[in-house]
Amino acid sequence: MLTDIILTVAGAVLVGIFGIIVAFFLMGIDRIVTARMQARIGPPLIQPLTDMRKLFTKENVVPANAIPWLFNMAPVVALASAITILLYIPVGGFPPVLSGGGDLILVMYLLTLPALALVAGGFSSGSPYATVGAQREMVTMIAYEFPLAVVIIAIAWKLTVSGIPLPFMLASVQANPVWGLVGPLGIIGILILFFVLLIVTPAELSRIPFDTPEAETELAGGVLVEYSGKNLALFTLTQGVKTVVMASLVVALFIPYRLSAILPTPAILQPVLDLLFYLVLVVLVSFIAVSLIRVSMARFRINQVVSAYWMYLSLVGIAGMLLIMADHILGVV
Amino acid sequence: MDMSAPLLTGYGIWVPVAWLAASVVAGIVIYLLWKTGESSYKKGTELERPYLSGNMEPEKGAVHVRASNLYWGFLQALKGYYDVLVPVHTGVLTDYMIWFVAVTAAILVFVGVLS
Repeated sequence: MLTDIILTVAGAVLVGIFGIIVAFFLMGIDRIVTARMQARIGPPLIQPLTDMRKLFTKENVVPANAIPWLFNMAPVVALASAITILLYIPVGGFPPVLSGGGDLILVMYLLTLPALALVAGGFSSGSPYATVGAQREMVTMIAYEFPLAVVIIAIAWKLTVSGIPLPFMLASVQANPVWGLVGPLGIIGILILFFVLLIVTPAELSRIPFDTPEAETELAGGVLVEYSGKNLALFTLTQGVKTVVMASLVVALFIPYRLSAILPTPAILQPVLDLLFYLVLVVLVSFIAVSLIRVSMARFRINQVVSAYWMYLSLVGIAGMLLIMADHILGVV
Repeated sequence: MDMSAPLLTGYGIWVPVAWLAASVVAGIVIYLLWKTGESSYKKGTELERPYLSGNMEPEKGAVHVRASNLYWGFLQALKGYYDVLVPVHTGVLTDYMIWFVAVTAAILVFVGVLS
């Protein structure tokens, strides 16, 4: 029992450190790729780390109207809860640290925690800009939950009717890639769900075109307007870790493959190969869901965010789910 | 009841104690990291005033954003839906009873047709 606890704690710390390193890496790649697409050279890969170190040396201003304990606690809770989600998702080609401790439903709920911490921080700032930003963050959160739930439920339903036990467990999803369980119609359905999850990702991360809670040009940073120094550093890092979380979730649900299982590799090199393959996939997902969309689009208004998710993307997601169901029924008949 | 036992839903699992323990460990590590940063700032200066794009700060009550604004984006996006739904809420009990009976009848007919 004690050994289990020590191993879990050590695993949690290691995954946390790994998540933060990959977060810096993804943020660096995002800035370089974005700059290149805008015909700029862009900063070096380690720029996000340099920015973070600088923020830690800057003044940590607490506004006069703020609730100091809540204002300071929000960034700590946000980053800690983002790292905790990583413990339930396969990262770096390895099984989750808490693989038997939670399922996809839990992951879906845990994804709201960093956003709720951000909302609490915004409301506690005592600034009208931050309050409006926090309200927008809540509305955005409500908006993207439904399409996200449709994606997860559709995959779990397919696993259930395929006779796979515990369909909401990520271990079950990983062991039974959903692509192999469906026919041609179902593959179209899964491609649609894949697309839906890629579009949910920028909203989870408050990135363009769904960055209405921050909206620099109209709300001057919105929910983060009063944050500076180490508090701002932690919120920025939270966004980086959430990028790792979302990219890892997309990989776990739709590309749950290990390269070492396909290529004959010496046993000692298998973890390295799987880690590299995971990093390639995560960078690819992050490029499509974050960088490419960010560069190609302008910001939506908050009511457009709700329309996009509750109407268009939900309908697209449900269409994908119906295709998977139709594929199953036709296959059975 | 064993508090550390996993909650089985039949479709998945959740172990609340494991999540709590992991959150506490992560929280302590991040708090220690946070403590290494600069904590001071010039108190009692302009820095403490909320940023309002260079405008003078109005009285506290005047800049308060009301809770009714919370769902503005939501209500605006689903305006067509709410335009129909809100007038239906008349506040008259008999109206609600009619809706209740009508919807129950519709469900029973639907279930009857399906079975």
